[in-house]
Amino acid sequence: MTDWNAMSDADFRKEVRGFFEAEYPEDLRNLPHRPKFAEIEHWHRKLHAKGWVAPAWPAEYGGMGLNAAKLLIYYEEQQRWGVNRGRDMGVQMVGPLIIKFGTQEQKDYWLPRILSCEDIWCQGYSEPGAGSDLANLRTRAETDGDDFVINGQKIWTTMAHDATHIFMLVRTDQATPKKQQGISFLLAPMDQPGVEVRTITTLSGETEFCEVFFDDARTPRANLVGELNKGWTMAKALLSFERIFIGAPNLAQNALGQLESFARGRGAFEDPVFRDRFAQAALDVEDHAALYSRFADQLKRGETLGADVSMLKIWVTECFQRITELMIEAAGPDGGTVGPLQVGNVNVDVLASFYKARPTTIYGGSNEIQRNILSKAVLGLPG
Amino acid sequence: MTQTDMQPSDQQDLRMLRESARTLFERAGGSGRSRKLRDAGGGWDADMIREMAEAGIFGVTLPEENGGLGMGLAAGGVIAEEVGRVIAPEPVVVTVGLSLGLLRRLCPDHAMMEQLVEGATVLAVAWQERGPNGGPAEPSCRYADGKLTGGKAWVAGAGGAGGFLVVAEGDAGPVLVLAEAGADGLSVEERRQADGSAMGELSFSGTPAGELASGGAVRAALAEAVNDATALAAAELVGLSERAFEITLDYIKTREQFDKPIGSFQVIQHRAVDLNVMCEVAQSGVREALGLMDRQTDPKARARLASRAKARAVTAAKKITRDAIQLHGAVGYTDEFEIALYLNRALVLSAWLGDDAYHRRLWFEAREEEGAAQ
Ligand SMILES: Cc1cc2nc3c(=O)[nH]c(=O)nc-3n(C[C@H](O)[C@H](O)[C@H](O)COP(=O)(O)OP(=O)(O)OC[C@H]3O[C@@H](n4cnc5c(N)ncnc54)[C@H](O)[C@@H]3O)c2cc1C
Repeated sequence: MTDWNAMSDADFRKEVRGFFEAEYPEDLRNLPHRPKFAEIEHWHRKLHAKGWVAPAWPAEYGGMGLNAAKLLIYYEEQQRWGVNRGRDMGVQMVGPLIIKFGTQEQKDYWLPRILSCEDIWCQGYSEPGAGSDLANLRTRAETDGDDFVINGQKIWTTMAHDATHIFMLVRTDQATPKKQQGISFLLAPMDQPGVEVRTITTLSGETEFCEVFFDDARTPRANLVGELNKGWTMAKALLSFERIFIGAPNLAQNALGQLESFARGRGAFEDPVFRDRFAQAALDVEDHAALYSRFADQLKRGETLGADVSMLKIWVTECFQRITELMIEAAGPDGGTVGPLQVGNVNVDVLASFYKARPTTIYGGSNEIQRNILSKAVLGLPG
Repeated sequence: MTQTDMQPSDQQDLRMLRESARTLFERAGGSGRSRKLRDAGGGWDADMIREMAEAGIFGVTLPEENGGLGMGLAAGGVIAEEVGRVIAPEPVVVTVGLSLGLLRRLCPDHAMMEQLVEGATVLAVAWQERGPNGGPAEPSCRYADGKLTGGKAWVAGAGGAGGFLVVAEGDAGPVLVLAEAGADGLSVEERRQADGSAMGELSFSGTPAGELASGGAVRAALAEAVNDATALAAAELVGLSERAFEITLDYIKTREQFDKPIGSFQVIQHRAVDLNVMCEVAQSGVREALGLMDRQTDPKARARLASRAKARAVTAAKKITRDAIQLHGAVGYTDEFEIALYLNRALVLSAWLGDDAYHRRLWFEAREEEGAAQ
C-alpha cells in the first residue's frame, strides 16, 4: 500500500492531478446540480478501484490515510478539476463516526459498503421543529425485541430520495432534564414500509432535499452507534471537522474563477467599478485562504480545533455569495436567465452558482448561530 | 413635484387607485394565481389583462386626449407597485411604459393604442441587440422595402405578444415598425427566466413589417419610453420588496426555535428593522422620482430620475429578498414557500432595463453632463 504521506507535497499533487485529469469524465466536470448516484457511478467505480474513495480514512479501513496537509491537496485538486464529490455523506459523515465510536462488527460490516457505495447515505438530523435548535428533535426510537421502532419526521434530508440508508439523531429517552440528553445516533435502512420519502423542490426547481416520514419503521438494535443516549456528544465531536470542511476556500475559489472568465468574456472589466469589486472579492478569497491554512496547520500538528474555526465558515460563505452576486451583475440583462450563458468558449451558469451560494449561510449551522458561538465561546461576551 | 407638494385631491385619487388595483389582484388570487400561471408554463392570463383594462389600468398614464386617464407616471407607479406585491406576470410595465409609451409619442392616432388600452392585445417592444460577446451591442437590425432583417434581444413579453414594435435602422435613420407574431421569417427563441417567464430573442429574415414612424423622433421617443418603463419597473420592485418584507416579518414572529419566536433574537430584530428602513427609503425615493418625472419635460433630467428610481429599487429588492431567504432558513430555499417566488421575480426585474450598478453609472454621467451644461 502506498504511503502517500511520505511523498513530497509537490509529487503528491502531481499524482492526484494526473489521475483526475486522465480519468475524470469530461461531461461530469463542474456539474451545476447534485447528481444521483447512477449519474456518477462509472466514476465512482474508477475511484473505488484505485482505493481513493475515502482520502481521510485510515488505510486499515480502506482509506488513503492522508494527513491534513495531503488531504487539503486532494480536495484542492478535486475542486480545481471540477470533480464532483459524489454521494459522500457516507464517507464524510457516517464513516468517521463509525470509525471513532463503532464496534468492530459495525466497522467490518458498514465501512466496505460505504466505500463501494453499496449503501448510499443521507443525513437525518433536522426536523420541522428542530433546525438551529437541533436538540429540540422529537423523532423517537423505542426498543422492541431486537429492534428499534422509529416514529417521527425528518426534513431537509439532502438526496434522501436517492439513498439506501439514513443516519439519524433520535430521541431514545423522553424524560431527561436537558434536551441534549436522551438522544442517540442510529443507522436505518430506507427501503421498508415504515419509511416514506417526499421530495421538496428547491427555489431553483431542483429536487435536492426531502421530507422523510417514519411510521413504525424498524432497525436492528445492532445499528445503534456508540452508547445509548450519548448521540449528541458524538455528533458534536464530528462538528469541528465539519466546520473546517464547510469553511474551506474551494466553493468561493471555484466561483471566483468562473466569475473571472465570465466577466472577462463579457467585457465587464472595462468598468473600473467592477474591477474594484472583483479585486475586493479576489482578495477576500486570498486572505481567507491564509486564515484557513492557519487552522489547517493546527490540524496538521494534531491539535483539535476550537470554536474559533466558525469564523472560516462565516467569511467564506458570505464571500461566495458576493462572488455569485457579481456574476449576476456581470451578466447584465441576462442576470435573470436560467441555464448556462455562453461567453466565447466557456459556459457559465450564473444563476445556478447564485442559487448554490444562498443556502451555505443556512446549513451547517447558520451564520447567525456561528456568530452566537463566536461571541460567547471566543469573545467571552456575556449572555 | 414631491409627494408633499402634491395636491390633496391627487393624493386621494392615487389612494383610490391603489385600493381598487389591490382589490382586483387579491380577488384574482394574489401571488397564488401567479404561481399557478408559472406552473402552467410561465405565460399570463388574457382574461386578467381584459379585467385590468376594464379597471382602467393600461390607460392611467395616458393623456386624456389619447383616451387615457391622464394621471401620469405617479399613477402608473401605484399600479406597478400593486403588480409587484402579487408578482403578477401580466406585462403591465411593457404595455404602459414601453408600447404605449412609444405609440403615444409617435403615432397617437394608431388603432393599436385603443386595443392596448382595452387589453385586447399585447405588443412587445424590441430595440436591444446582442453582440458577439453575449452583451448588448450597437443596433444593426435593418428595415428596407417593408422587410426586417437581423435580430433583437431581451424582448420582454415576447411569448404571448400579438405583435412586436421593432426599432430598426431604415434607409434614412431609425424607424419604428410593427411586425405581427407568427409573421414570415420571424423566429422567437424564448429564454427561460428565474421567475418562469421568458425573454425573447428575435430573429428576422425578410420579415414583413409596417412602418409606423421614422427619423430622429423615433430615437427620442424610444429613450423616453425606456425612461418611463425603467421608473415603472422600479415601482414594481418597491411593491415586491414591501410584500417580501411583510411575509418575512410574519414568519419571524411565528417561527419558534429555542422555545421562542426567532423574532425575539436581537440580531433578527435589527436585521428586520434595517430591511424595513430600506423598504421605506426605496418607496419614498421611487415615488418621488416618478412624481418628478411627470413634471419634468427635459428627457435627460427624466432619464436621471428614472435611473435614481431603478438604482434604489434594485438595491433594496436584492437585499430584502436575499435576507428574507436567510431569515426563513431552509423553508426559504424551497419553491413551496411563497418567499422564493419573490426572490426569483426580483432577479428578473433587477436585470431587466438595467441593474443598480448600471443605473448609478447612468445617473452620475447624466449629472456630470447637466453640470457641464450649466
Ligand atoms: C440546502 C440545504 C440542505 C440541507 N441538508 C440537510 C441534511 O441533509 N440533513 C439535515 O439534517 N439537515 C439538512 N439541512 C437543514 C439545515 O441543517 C437547517 O436548515 C439549519 O439547521 C437551520 O434550521 P432551519 O432551516 O430550521 O432554520 P431556523 O432554525 O428556523 O432559522 C431561521 C432563521 O433564524 C435564525 N436563528 C435561529 N436561531 C437563532 C438564534 N438563536 N439567534 C439568532 N438567529 C437565529 C437562523 O440563523 C435563520 O436565519 C439542509 C438545509 C439546506 C438549506
